[in-house]
Amino acid sequence: MISLKLINKKLFAGILTLALVSCSDPWSDRENNGDDNLNITLTEAIANTPETSKFAELLAQSGYDEILAGSKTYTVFVPTNDAMAQVDASLLNTPEKVTAFVQNHITLTAYSSVRDNASEKIKMLGPKYLLFKGTATIGDATILTSDKYAKNGVFHIINKSLAPKKNIWEYINSQTASSAMSNYLVSLNELNIYDSDITAKENAIPGALADSLSNSFLKNVYNVNNEKNTYTLFLMEDDGYSTEVDKLKPYLNKSTADLTATYSRYFTVRDMVFPKAYMPNELPNELTTRFGVKVTIDKTQIIGDPIVLSNGVVYRMKKVDVPLKDRLVTTKIEGENNVSFSPSNLRSKIFYREQKDLNDIFFKDVMVYNSGVSLFQLNYRATDLFSITYKVYWRAVNINNYSSNATVFQQRLAVGRVFRDGIEYPNEVIKDFGLKNVEIGVYDDVYLGEFTLTNAQDIDRITLYGANTTTVGNNTMILDYLKFVPDVK
Amino acid sequence: MITITKTKKSILLGMMALTFGLNSCSDYLDVQPEDKLVEEQMYRNIYDADAAVIGVYGKFMALAEKNIILNEMRADLMSTTRNSTPYLKEISEHNVSANNPYANPKDFYVVIQNCNNVLKNFDMMLEKKRFTQEQYNERYSDIGAIRSWVYLQLGIHYGSVPYITESIENIEDAKNISKYPRLPFDQLLDKLILFTENLPYKGLYSVGSSLVITIDGYNTAKFFINKECLLGDLQLWKGNYQEAAAHYKNVMETGTRGGTDTELYNTYRVKFAEVITHDDLAVGYLRYSEQDATTLINSNTQGWRSIFARDRDLLWNSEWIWSLPFENNFAPKNPFIALFSNKNGDYLVKPSQSAMDLWNSQKQSNDIPYDARGQKFTYNIVNGDPVIMKYLYSSEAVASTGVANTKGQWFLYRAAKLHLRYAEAANRDNQQKVAYAILNNGIRRAYTPSPAPTDVTDVQQTKLPFPYDFDARMGDYPSYRGNWHRNDGIRGRAFMKFVGAVGDDVITTENNIIQEDALELAYEGNRWEDLVRIALRRNDPAFLADKIYEKLSKEGNGKASEVRAKLMNVNNWYLPFNW
Repeated sequence: MISLKLINKKLFAGILTLALVSCSDPWSDRENNGDDNLNITLTEAIANTPETSKFAELLAQSGYDEILAGSKTYTVFVPTNDAMAQVDASLLNTPEKVTAFVQNHITLTAYSSVRDNASEKIKMLGPKYLLFKGTATIGDATILTSDKYAKNGVFHIINKSLAPKKNIWEYINSQTASSAMSNYLVSLNELNIYDSDITAKENAIPGALADSLSNSFLKNVYNVNNEKNTYTLFLMEDDGYSTEVDKLKPYLNKSTADLTATYSRYFTVRDMVFPKAYMPNELPNELTTRFGVKVTIDKTQIIGDPIVLSNGVVYRMKKVDVPLKDRLVTTKIEGENNVSFSPSNLRSKIFYREQKDLNDIFFKDVMVYNSGVSLFQLNYRATDLFSITYKVYWRAVNINNYSSNATVFQQRLAVGRVFRDGIEYPNEVIKDFGLKNVEIGVYDDVYLGEFTLTNAQDIDRITLYGANTTTVGNNTMILDYLKFVPDVK
Repeated sequence: MITITKTKKSILLGMMALTFGLNSCSDYLDVQPEDKLVEEQMYRNIYDADAAVIGVYGKFMALAEKNIILNEMRADLMSTTRNSTPYLKEISEHNVSANNPYANPKDFYVVIQNCNNVLKNFDMMLEKKRFTQEQYNERYSDIGAIRSWVYLQLGIHYGSVPYITESIENIEDAKNISKYPRLPFDQLLDKLILFTENLPYKGLYSVGSSLVITIDGYNTAKFFINKECLLGDLQLWKGNYQEAAAHYKNVMETGTRGGTDTELYNTYRVKFAEVITHDDLAVGYLRYSEQDATTLINSNTQGWRSIFARDRDLLWNSEWIWSLPFENNFAPKNPFIALFSNKNGDYLVKPSQSAMDLWNSQKQSNDIPYDARGQKFTYNIVNGDPVIMKYLYSSEAVASTGVANTKGQWFLYRAAKLHLRYAEAANRDNQQKVAYAILNNGIRRAYTPSPAPTDVTDVQQTKLPFPYDFDARMGDYPSYRGNWHRNDGIRGRAFMKFVGAVGDDVITTENNIIQEDALELAYEGNRWEDLVRIALRRNDPAFLADKIYEKLSKEGNGKASEVRAKLMNVNNWYLPFNW
């Protein structure tokens, strides 16, 4: 009996062994790849690293230790204990500040030091973006030890904390007490420059980005409150700033001295910001604003180091001298951009043409041909005109592919409506240039004459008239563009 | 005692379980699986045969993306973007690494193997009288032609390839040189011409065939390869120009063989513009506002753009000879959205600067200084990026449901291509005037003397024997409406000024035709083969090398000269045959 039992037991054991040997278990093999780091979370890995223990404490304090122990993948830039010792205590004196501080060191998904892109802007858990440049630079910190892996991501040990920086707009807001230019920029939260600013302010949604939508500078020039893009702003000291503003006042004459000052300031500051953050070594000698104004960057006027912010750079400048001839830009109105026409039922007589000039340069223009009416009107609008004398040119290329013979014809330009004491005088215009010949095949600008504005303004009625005849060929109109060139003495 | 017995029993049971358990890996239970068919069972009747044909086309569609990449990215009209993978850049720069998936010929052989297998079984079915001789002829010829098409592509891109026509067990055998020797391209062409010319049936599936039905709203007639077009192409490659022209002409006369008047005068005849209604496939402007560039007819339902965007209606049928659709709700998935779109896709390819310059150096007949087929239709600037639009119009049309619209087509053959290929053959067959007319202003205008007589009895026709016979008479006193009276020429339909002149020599005319191929057919998968065909024909590698050089150098690619030098050797035109 006993022997039987024994035999059975041996048999059983033997079969069991066979069964076990024959089945390997790839599922448990999978885990054993020899890297213990892959069994612990980022929270544990950071806490286990002696030189980053202080940041680990902050993680625990802010509750981010639990988030970094979760299942999502993160990259953490961990300042060394030495770097943490340098952090200003005021940056960490409230729970909100601690959270913002910690968030600016963490981003979603794993960013290895070796990536396809040499440089990429990454969105941190907070509102800010940081530039991960090459293998070793994040923001303005340097990576000391890179690519330390844990189960749910990667962390890099850095030599400097990445405390969230102000953006340009936040910086300007912090400077209002000491800087007239900053003060003016912030005052544009209330002041309107254009009619559309009034509606923007009325419709602004309160919140962190409210300024972006309603501040007349952020809305009309560049939104330097936007974290996604980068900008360079030149902030003039009070003396330099007021010199530039005063220089502009004669050309931005308005009904009241206050308005003149507001507009002169606006036209001064709108030329002080550029897209892209230029560090001192990248700063060109000349930049062009989005309004076409060339600004010479005199580097000897820079005061101190540039202020590097989360979305760009601010240079404090003694002055930025922009000559009037550059500041007072030419207004160019394209013929094909007419805002209306009359008679309004004759759209079919207007031809928006596309051609190449004698130098093979592509251009678009407008032609009115065989309209059957006299005094056909094409209406245009000009904005931001200065109080100055303008010299007026047109380019009208008299080539008509429609009819075999081009004919010399005449057309007439009239600029501006006239108001006195709030009443319009419809029979008067600021300037009527009279009938002018449009010669055949002339590709040059043709000088028409000049007009003077006593007030800076928009002109919403600029009209090109056809000749006072219904004869085909003679009532043709052609316009490539109009140019209003300020006559800067 | 009792306990002992119990133990023994349980052990015994355990052992039995283990025995069976361990044995289950071997095939001692050798029965036919119930959920799979052996080959014999798969080919029982005509419906099984039809399913096999559809199956081949399903496999064939998997070649769509590769076909476009190889024929366009290797040539001069398409280029890489910031998003392109290194593999695409290799294709563009003619420096292909061993594991480049675009250069892998295996996908072609998967289709070929599928064809061979189906052809073998069709023979078996015929032998066992499972379908009629007529049914056999149509289906066998269709699959045979698809196989020849795939081999032609292989020859174009790989030069020497194994020509396998038997069903093989293992596709890897195709790489075995001792078993399947590599055939040089020219010899391959001989084999393909011999096989394809001898196919028992060269027409379309006959009316009433069980394969010409409506599936998911699509009539299947234009899903299948046009064998005459393929034969024309093969003969054109081989240099048999009159045979090529004859095959093409057979397709051009499709309308002559029956149907309504509309079908008679419009089918594959590259018809003139309807200047009042704009219900046409022409480049057009609002009538009497032709000088106004903003009045260009630019929609999914009218004008030239609608060739690529419209539903499969009568007009569509008058242009398209072969096109396979991609739909939202059936496989395979449309590969072109990811390839081309910068909105819904990955934007991996774009028009090259040299292609855009080519369109912009043209002049329309209203003197607008660019070809509208370029910047207005074939590509658009979308958010600052030049985007190839031909494949995107259908998918970017508003989706009425919440489901993303992924409609599209693999464009394979249309009337414009047919006419340009025919012109190429005619020109080489010393019919320059016919070629000029087809390319430029259409037969009627080219054969109208100046001044035009009222009585057109003796004019507006070529008075040549087949395949150069055209009657384009359109007169009222006495009344004539020749079958070709609506033909407007490729450039005529595109509202372009004409190029060249009647009396130009062969080379000038050919250059103009090849340029028109680029303007009209860009990104439809023809460009590389056009360049190779002409360069081979003229024995002039520079014809091809210069164009690739221009593309790369215009984009500031430092390798442009190196690539040009490489392409001056014909052997370097071919991709490595390996997988």
